[in-house]
Amino acid sequence: MTIILILAGLFFLLLLGVPVAFALGGIGLAMLLIGGFSPLMAPQAILSTLDGFILLAVPLFLLMSNVLLKGGVGRDLFAAVQAWVGHWPGGLAVATILSCGLFAAISGSSVATAATIGTVAIPEMISRGYDKRFVYGLLAAGGTLGILIPPSIPMIVYGFVTEQSVIALFLAGIGPGLLLVSFFVIFSVLYAKLSGKFVPVEKAQMEERLVASWRALPSLVLAIIVIAGLYSGAFTPTEAAAVGFAAALFITIFWLRTLTWESFWEAVKESAITTTAILLIVAGAKVFGKAIALYRIPQDISAFIAANNDGPLIFILLVSVVLLLMGLVFEALSMILIMTPVLLPAAMGLGFDPIWFGIYMVIMVECALITPPVGLNLYVIQAVARTTLANVARGVWPFLLLMLGTVGVLYAFPDLALYIPFKW
Amino acid sequence: MIFISQVSRIAGLFGAVLMALTGAMLTFEVVARYFFIKPTIWAAELSQLCLIWGCLLSMAWLLSQRRHITVNAVTSLLPKTAQKACVALALLCIIVFSGIVTIWGWDIFYDSFSRGRTTGSLLNLPTWVAELSVPLGFGLLTLQAVADLIALPRDATHTLGASHE
Repeated sequence: MTIILILAGLFFLLLLGVPVAFALGGIGLAMLLIGGFSPLMAPQAILSTLDGFILLAVPLFLLMSNVLLKGGVGRDLFAAVQAWVGHWPGGLAVATILSCGLFAAISGSSVATAATIGTVAIPEMISRGYDKRFVYGLLAAGGTLGILIPPSIPMIVYGFVTEQSVIALFLAGIGPGLLLVSFFVIFSVLYAKLSGKFVPVEKAQMEERLVASWRALPSLVLAIIVIAGLYSGAFTPTEAAAVGFAAALFITIFWLRTLTWESFWEAVKESAITTTAILLIVAGAKVFGKAIALYRIPQDISAFIAANNDGPLIFILLVSVVLLLMGLVFEALSMILIMTPVLLPAAMGLGFDPIWFGIYMVIMVECALITPPVGLNLYVIQAVARTTLANVARGVWPFLLLMLGTVGVLYAFPDLALYIPFKW
Repeated sequence: MIFISQVSRIAGLFGAVLMALTGAMLTFEVVARYFFIKPTIWAAELSQLCLIWGCLLSMAWLLSQRRHITVNAVTSLLPKTAQKACVALALLCIIVFSGIVTIWGWDIFYDSFSRGRTTGSLLNLPTWVAELSVPLGFGLLTLQAVADLIALPRDATHTLGASHE
């Protein structure tokens, strides 16, 4: 009963339009006061959250990708990939997905990925006769790769709240990320071949390819340094983000010479806004998490699930339906922060690896990013392409199925995620 | 009202600079450790301090810019006047929550300050240096929310936030 009241209160505040951070913190604080616990726990929980060294990676990865963004790296990446694969059937679509995947490796955000690649790829593809809905769906879905391929802000947050290794999560995202990229690529080639709705791009000359690659090279090297540094243990995620930020400045100031003072200051402001918005939700969730733990709610839920144990498959199917429904209205981070403390103990009781569960959660919230009426990537593409939300939403469903297919493969072969971090 | 928004803006921009500074400090740390084998004792601790102050100082600015993450799916379906009523209720929630956190946060700060508690880390800073950010940040947020509530009947606000990642 208490659980239902608490969740009803929380959802009421959220749907009323109280910012997520304060809704979570407010309900948590109210629970502390009603339960006779010390309300000092609320400010303490906020302080201890922001004091987390790992969360420093959030502003730094955001700074790194915002600086690269302002430096016009998205355009360079797309041009380079297009020079190599543009002449394939559906080549521009393939180039778009590959650019999204590459940009995802230097950015931890799906919005940044969708917006950056969308700005260059959408006009290009539409002028080559691709069906508009396909283009919008492709970009909205391709953008979600940003949070599955490391670095990833939601993974940092998941690692922080569950006390799991962020490095292991990053590495575990690579396998499913590559699988999803190949699903998208195969679908694009088949779609182009079968529909015939595109004008092929002429094959680029070798010189053109090399020139385009030369401009995109530093960003690729940066992505490799970050991943390799994390994998070898040379950097912590936070240090990797700091070095990445410094390198992004070096690349955009000295190599590409595209970063101005104004755009740098814009990048700093934007990163601060996003960081504060995200970390306050994490802090609010910490207050909420403390309160529900004192009321022993996660234990009650896992006991309930253990008592009604229908096996891991039914559990994952049920959770997936709940997450898909939540994803219609909620955005990614709030879903992870509200649902993880509630679900993870039960999932671990059923034998799921917490790293695996993190990757599963990330793919599920990727779906939330492209399901209407509230899907952040839909808004981004709508704004970039200056079209209606309905148009974008109609193009998205085949990609949604491919993402759910990836979840299926991940369930059948957990090593898709767990091989690189633990067995390689 | 305008005065409070100005203070929030300056605090927020200062917070943004603090967050960018963490990048410089931690890059210095990595270079010092790998190339000069001389790790610093201050980089990690000071950058954490910058993050705490940066976030808490920026909160009020985000509110005035309507950049806090908010679920708009339901309120956006309501008529304009009902949307305004929701915003007013949401602002009241923020005022109550941040007001309480300000008061208790001040108690934590004052207790540490008067007892001279320190962190016990390498730098051994007084703990109130970090703790002061809570009453200041949330106090400013409370004031900003009150100012927004007073200004609400005359402005065009129909939601408190935006959606981010």
